[in-house]
Amino acid sequence: MIEFRDVNKKYPNGFEALKQINLTIEQGEFVAIIGLSGAGKSTLIRTINRMHDITGGTLTVNGTDVMTLQGKNLRSFRRNIGMIFQSFNLITRTTVIKNVLTAFVPELPWWRAAFGIFTKEEKLAALEALDKVGILDKAFVRADQLSGGQQQRVALARTLAQDPKIILADEPVASLDPVTAKQVMDDFLRINRDMKITVLLNIHHVDLALQYASRVVGIRAGEIVYDGPADQVDQEVLDSIYQAGRKEAV
Amino acid sequence: MSFYDKLFPPKRITLPNGKSVQQYRSRGPAAAVILIALTALSVKITGFNMEVLIRRINEFFVILGQMFPPKWSYMPQVWKPLFDTIKMSLLGSVLGSVLVVPFAMLASTNVIRSRAVVSGMRLFLSIVRTLPTLVTALIATYIFGLGTLAGTTAIAVFTFAYIGKILYEEIETVDMGAFEAMEAMGATKVRAFISAIVPQVLPSYLSNCLFCFEGNVRYASILGYVGAGGLGLILNEKIGWREYSSVGMILIALFVTVFVIETLSRAARRKLV
Amino acid sequence: MNERIERAYEKRPKGWVFELAIAGIVLVLLIWSGSGIETSGTTQNGGKIAMNILSGIFHPDTRLLFNLTTQGVPYLLLETICIAFLGTVVGAVISVPLAFLSASNLTPKPVAFLGRMMIMAVRTVPAFVYGLMFIRVTGPGAFAGLLTMSLCSVGMVSKMYIEAIEDLDVRVLESLDAAGCTTWQKIRYGILPQLMPNFASTAIYRFDINLRDATVLGLVGAGGIGAPLIFAMNSYRWNEAGAILAGLIALVLIVEWISTKIRVKLARG
Repeated sequence: MIEFRDVNKKYPNGFEALKQINLTIEQGEFVAIIGLSGAGKSTLIRTINRMHDITGGTLTVNGTDVMTLQGKNLRSFRRNIGMIFQSFNLITRTTVIKNVLTAFVPELPWWRAAFGIFTKEEKLAALEALDKVGILDKAFVRADQLSGGQQQRVALARTLAQDPKIILADEPVASLDPVTAKQVMDDFLRINRDMKITVLLNIHHVDLALQYASRVVGIRAGEIVYDGPADQVDQEVLDSIYQAGRKEAV
Repeated sequence: MSFYDKLFPPKRITLPNGKSVQQYRSRGPAAAVILIALTALSVKITGFNMEVLIRRINEFFVILGQMFPPKWSYMPQVWKPLFDTIKMSLLGSVLGSVLVVPFAMLASTNVIRSRAVVSGMRLFLSIVRTLPTLVTALIATYIFGLGTLAGTTAIAVFTFAYIGKILYEEIETVDMGAFEAMEAMGATKVRAFISAIVPQVLPSYLSNCLFCFEGNVRYASILGYVGAGGLGLILNEKIGWREYSSVGMILIALFVTVFVIETLSRAARRKLV
Repeated sequence: MNERIERAYEKRPKGWVFELAIAGIVLVLLIWSGSGIETSGTTQNGGKIAMNILSGIFHPDTRLLFNLTTQGVPYLLLETICIAFLGTVVGAVISVPLAFLSASNLTPKPVAFLGRMMIMAVRTVPAFVYGLMFIRVTGPGAFAGLLTMSLCSVGMVSKMYIEAIEDLDVRVLESLDAAGCTTWQKIRYGILPQLMPNFASTAIYRFDINLRDATVLGLVGAGGIGAPLIFAMNSYRWNEAGAILAGLIALVLIVEWISTKIRVKLARG
């Protein structure tokens, strides 16, 4: 369970990215965060695994107050949260399986990490993760030879190998074409349903958000303006998320 | 399937759910074995000896120490050979890079259809490239006599070979649509080449020529050693007489020159590409 | 309509002044550099000598070419390979810390600048000067040659390493961070895999160049095939020079062919 209580986030330059956020997400939900660029979607997602610090309020994830974590504790906390990026963030010059195997690196003894020695179980687990996203046959191909959609699936497999409770995705399909975007979203949905992993993603394709997510959170200028089931999002709601924000911006 | 994979057949990995994948054997271990073997052989043949190196490395700095402070009063005599070196490399670079254009054109598979011509040209360029510049310079001194002409020739030959390879690789990556359109309009191959391919290749060609010129200034300073004019001549002389402070002066002059030329040419190259 | 076209014509970019100026400068530079051409009286029989050289090169001394003692071409080539190889290895190793120190995205600007100046200074000193300095350390022979080669390699290799380091994709580090990796795990799994193919490729490229440049070492008696080649040429024994050159050319072509294959493999996987 992820719980935001009166969370504020102010950047050092004075910009208020999040204002008084109150949000509770239960284990196993599929939540899409929508809103204009710069509304705070990305900041919201990144506070959860503390890639960004919050400056006010409390944020607890599965009972842990995120802001109390430091060093080793923070790293082991992050092990339980997978993260997917718009730009895939793979090591393109090595093979797909080596990319997936990096998920195990934080738990290895130092000498195994130094020499890159992985056990058979770890390799099999990595291959299984690749199989779950349907690219088992690419396991020993170099990552830079894959298409964008396939690369995002490698990133997804890397996250799955981490065996997370929560997956955060920051614009996972923004650099993909519509067809592959749908395929990747299908993967997210399957993972959410079959493995009961919470999926929290921000996305600027409203139609994809409404089609896949069970719950939609609309953000405008750092504030939550809508929070409810995806099937109750209508034009009026969208206007409040997008139009008003646009007027403000103009 | 390559030879290596036949020698070390790929491993099959079967997943618990019954699916399986082939893992090709890594080249890493083989590469490491070759590397270690070659290193061991090289250490033996060259007589590499860490102990001698550590014990006597201070000798290396003896000459270096004598170079400083450099003999500033020697500078007036450095100007002429210094400018000779620049002149040699400038003229040599221009000659070489201009002369190679038709050869590079003949070595591009997308301009010339005949495999024989292309491979012949490439072999020719490769062989010219393998000629050590020092040997070219030495031969040039026999033919043209001692002096900067020999050095210029050697640099032109080197530039010819270096730019040639880069240029034909560059030509092969251009968009051929415009060339075909020109040919379809009835232009000859040379005309089509000039108006369709040259504009695409020109910026990177000029940039590479400038880059080559930068390197040539450095290189030209060696050629004097075999009598091909320039800084090498006085460098050799001063080393022979053990006037190391003068050597230091020459090296500083060379360093500043190279620095200035590199800075200018880098600025120009940034504009080009 | 006409007016609009005329106005557009008036607005055409007038780059020709700039281009003319550049052309003028280049022309002046060329004439100036032409003035430097001098020879100490071109020998009348230059053409005849050229013919001699050519005939010598095309009729190499086969006895020398296939002589398997330490005086023969095969052994000299092997020695040259060893000098170039070990020189490249040593140079490539020295370049790693230098490059990291001089990469402007990792170290503060003044340090990076200082590092670059040092690399440039190392690059500027001609090879035979280093050769002479190292001969004082090790005595004449292949050992001095390999030390010279390694120092000469440092300049170019570290320059290319710096470029590779500055091109690093740092987004990978972000995802490793999110997965809970420590700093050195991020270096081992985020940075090294990106740099290794690049570094290896650069070293192989430099090995090619070193093999080609190894003749320079012969000038100062630092081993390899250069000395016998230059002796042969200085005493007009063109058949011998031809034999040595033939061996060297064949070797360089073969090595280049192999190294290009490896480098393509490294770049494309």
